Formats: sequence, C-alpha cells, structure tokens
Amino acid sequence: MRLGSLELDVELDVPPGRIVGLLGPNGAGKTTLLRILAGLLFPDEGRVVLDGRVLDDTTTGEHVPPEARPVGVVFQNYLLFPHLSALENVAFGLRSRGVPKAEARARAADWLERVGLADYRASKPKQLSGGQSQRVALARALATEPRLLLLDEPLAALDASTRLETRRELRRQLDGYDGVRLLVTHDPMEAIALAERLIVLEAGRISQTGTPKDISEQPRSRYVADFVGVNLFRGWAENDEIRVGAAGRLVAPGAGRGEVFAVVHPRAVALYRDPPGGTPRNVWEGTAEALDLEGERVRVRVGGPLPIVAEVTPGAVADLRLGDGGPVWVSVKATEVVVYPV
Amino acid sequence: MVRTVRRERPPVLALAAGSIAALFFVLPLAGLLWRAPWRSVVSDLGAPDVRKALRLSLEASLSATVVCLAFGLPLAWVLARMEFPGRRLLRALTVLPMVLPPVVGGIALIYAFGRRGIVGQYLDQWFDISFAFTTKGVILAEAFVAMPFLVVTAEAAFRSLDRSFEDAARTLGASRWTVFRRVTLPLAGPALGAGAVLCWARALGEFGATITFAGNFPGTTQTMPLAVYLSLESSRPETAIVLSLVLLLVSLAVLVGLRDRWLGVS
Repeated sequence: MRLGSLELDVELDVPPGRIVGLLGPNGAGKTTLLRILAGLLFPDEGRVVLDGRVLDDTTTGEHVPPEARPVGVVFQNYLLFPHLSALENVAFGLRSRGVPKAEARARAADWLERVGLADYRASKPKQLSGGQSQRVALARALATEPRLLLLDEPLAALDASTRLETRRELRRQLDGYDGVRLLVTHDPMEAIALAERLIVLEAGRISQTGTPKDISEQPRSRYVADFVGVNLFRGWAENDEIRVGAAGRLVAPGAGRGEVFAVVHPRAVALYRDPPGGTPRNVWEGTAEALDLEGERVRVRVGGPLPIVAEVTPGAVADLRLGDGGPVWVSVKATEVVVYPV
Repeated sequence: MVRTVRRERPPVLALAAGSIAALFFVLPLAGLLWRAPWRSVVSDLGAPDVRKALRLSLEASLSATVVCLAFGLPLAWVLARMEFPGRRLLRALTVLPMVLPPVVGGIALIYAFGRRGIVGQYLDQWFDISFAFTTKGVILAEAFVAMPFLVVTAEAAFRSLDRSFEDAARTLGASRWTVFRRVTLPLAGPALGAGAVLCWARALGEFGATITFAGNFPGTTQTMPLAVYLSLESSRPETAIVLSLVLLLVSLAVLVGLRDRWLGVS
C-alpha cells in the first residue's frame, strides 16, 4: 500500500497463534504500517483484512474507523490518560464499548491483578514507574479482547534493567492471549525474545521473513546482519570461491555456483600483525580502522579489499596494539564461511 | 566556596520611568480605597438600588458566560481542529469584539437585534422576542464582548492538547463524541476553566455595549457598571464608590486566581 511518499510494498499475512515481530530500521515504515492497521492512517492505496473482514480497501473506498475495529494498541510511550487512575484507564475501552460502569471496573480490576498491579488501582499514571505503566498499557489494550494486538516498541521507553524483567512478563502475557499479535521493534534482543516469527521491513519492502533462528543463521541484508552481529557478504560463487565486489575473494568449498550470501561470524576472524602461515585459506592484508567494546569482547573493524569485523579479547588488542591502527593480516578458515543462495 | 554574584544596579532612567508607570497603576486604586466610605460600606451595600444592580450583574454575567460556553466551545474546537477556507477570516471576526469599542458593539447590536434590526425585526414579529432595553439584551451585549475571550483561550487549549491521547482513546473503541467528552475536555479543563472565568469577568465589567443596547433601567438592565455611572451623574458618589469597590475586589480575585495561568509568572 502507498501512503504519500512512503511506499509500502507489503503483503503481510499474519496468522493467529504466533507472535509476529515486525523488524526494521527507522524510517522503514513500521510505525506507519501499524497506524494503518489501527485505522489511524488512511493508505493512499491498499487493502487491510482482518479475520476475513475488510477494514480498508481503497478500491471500494471502505474504511472502518479505529473505534469500530477489534484492534488493541500498546503505544511506545503508553499514552495512559493522565487524568484517570490505572483502573479507570484499563476500564476505558470497556466503558467506551458500552459495558456498564460497575462491570467495566470489575473486569479492569481483574486485568490489573493479572499483570500484578492490583495494589495500584487508584494510582495516577504519573505515580507509576516505567515498567508499571507498560503493564497498565498492556492491560488496557487487552481488556477489550481485541482480535489484533499491536505493540509499538513496547519496551523501548524502559531503562535496561527494567526492560529485562518487563520483557519476560510481557512474553508471559502475550503467550496467554490468542488472536493475532504483531510487535514492532528495532531491538534485536526484543525481537528474538518476544517474536516467534520475524518479518523484516526495509525501506518499505519486506526483505526477509522467518523464525529468529532462520534470520540469525541466514541473514539476507546488511541490516539483518548488523542486527544479528555477523559479517555478511554477497557475491558470485564458482569453483569453491566467492567473488565479492571488485577485489574480494572468499574461499568456501561447496559454495556451488551462482549468486550467494556468505556469513562469517566475527569470532571466526583472526588477526595478526605479521603474515600468518598455516591452514586457513582466507588470508589477506587490511587496515585496523576502529574498535568497539562489546561486553568483554572487542570488535575490530578492518578495512581493505574485503572489509570485515573481527571479535577478539581486550588482551589481544593490547598485545597487538590494535588501538594504534595500522596494517593487520586477516585470517578466516574456509570451513567457517557459511554460504547460502540469494 | 562560591561567592554569589552581586546584582547590577538598574540604570537610573529605567528606575524613574518604571516608578512613574507603577504609580500610574497604583494611584487610581489608592484614591478609590482612600475615598471609600468605610464606615457606611455595609449599609450602603444594602441600599435597594445597589442590591438590584448586584443581583442583576451576577445573573446576567453568569448567563452570558453560559451562552459563551455553549456556542464558543464548539467554535473554538472547529477553529482548532478543522481546516477549511476562510478559517483565518472567521478567527479574525471572533476576535473583533475584543478590539472594537464597546459602544460601537452596542450600536451594531441594535441594528442586528433591535426592534427593527436585520434579525431583530423577525424575532419581534414572529416570536415576540425583543432584546433592546431588556435583561435579555444585557446578556446578549455581555456575551458579545466576552465571547472572544473564551474562544481564544479555548482554541489555544484545544490546540495544545496532545492528539495522541485522542488516538489512543479511539483505538480503545471510543466514538469521537466520547473522546471529546472523556479525554479532550478533561485534559483541556483547567485551561477552559480559566477562559470561562476571564469571560465572566469581562461580562461583569461591560458598560458601553450594555448601556447602548439595553439601556439603563434599574432592575432590568442596570448592571453594576451602569449603576456606578448613574450614581456619579446624580451626585451620589458613595454608591458609585461602593459598587466600584465590589467590582475592584472581583477583578483582583480573578487576577490572583488566574495569575499563574495568565501573567506567565512562574
């Protein structure tokens, strides 16, 4: 579908029963897609169907307004109504749909208990912590029992420590809910922990779909490769060798013939100051350009005929004085190169 | 140890001019307070003319505020939220009574709603409703001058609201009316309240349009400002001063109550 200058060439088929993650860089169109599904945005061209019911169809001009859609949304910054208590927030959807006040409040209290916030019924949003607000927002969206639950970066607004705990809790709640669940995220950990199936959206197009495992093992785009944290090359395979770009060569037995992706995990890349001998078939000279500390490992970006990222220990960095940059020799065992067709 | 920076002394000229400006505001009020017949204030307030004026002022200004709210709020919402050709012109028109000399407003009202006015003649012929020289006229005149105050503040309030809350409410199943009632209005509430109070204060103090359109009849159209005028004209300054004191007190109360919102003082 098309919306103004953003062209989303997407055919999303999201079945119930699995939590689907919509992944992609900023500007890819994820939030726009979410808003279209919620009915808050009109596509210029396209069709939205839920449970066989047409919600949007630009060819017939049909548009079901958001309040008539069985859709629930958990917004990135929660958007809890500041003038209402937690209980009233959760009851809001029910009351708006005609449930009598007393019953709505009872059901809301039930939901708050399910997310572990029974004691915070009367609290106003500004009295709640980030994690608590997120749970209230979730309860509020689930209380109306929507057929489609949309979550827009549900953990993005939380600090790192709260995020972990809340993520586990969120997964628990999502598991206990049937109906279609679509989660938008740009965080790898969130995607892998929460989604059972991933759809990668880049520049308005789906670049890859699969389980988190599929995607980690066989990334098909730079974005996904960076996401997963591996080196990705694309080139022409012939005679056990892959030609990447103008000057890059990767020896990979069994690569077959044709256009392929090749993945090399940074762990499999060894660096030397002097040309190494030995068995590795992939050896070339490059320049150490940058260092990134990631936990207890250091990632070294090496430029050259085939730019690559190596993962080494801080000790190694000190020994080789990699911080000074300069020429290094790269070595990758051919057996460490994972190849699959484009 | 940190030494606090000494404040610079302001230039003498600024001090002098500023003091004169301050006196300009303070002297008239001081004069009023000084000349007030403090000993007989209570009994003066009890005089029939004064009581009639007080009651009429209160009723009329409150009614005018209700009218302003009923018609001004929807107008403010439309101005804030909808795009249509001529919106700027409409907004300029609604602000017009704010800058128009009130007496001119009164004359305009005569020609619109008076016995032989554009609309007035039909109201008179078909429904036997007349505005000029009646309490209804007072309410109309006051609403005319006070409505812009409400519309301007209400429009600003609606504009400054975060629309995402309304989006959230709609995804939860609230119809547009429910969203307005349960989300927009409560969130804009404090600002709307301030607008309503300002509107009321303006209506209470209106003189020019009232006396021109509704006349000066005790009990029916003689509001407090008019009574002040009349008593001065008929050399009964005590009544004038006492009524003025009441109006002054009300004005001060409004200012104090709204100071954080209106004077931008933190």
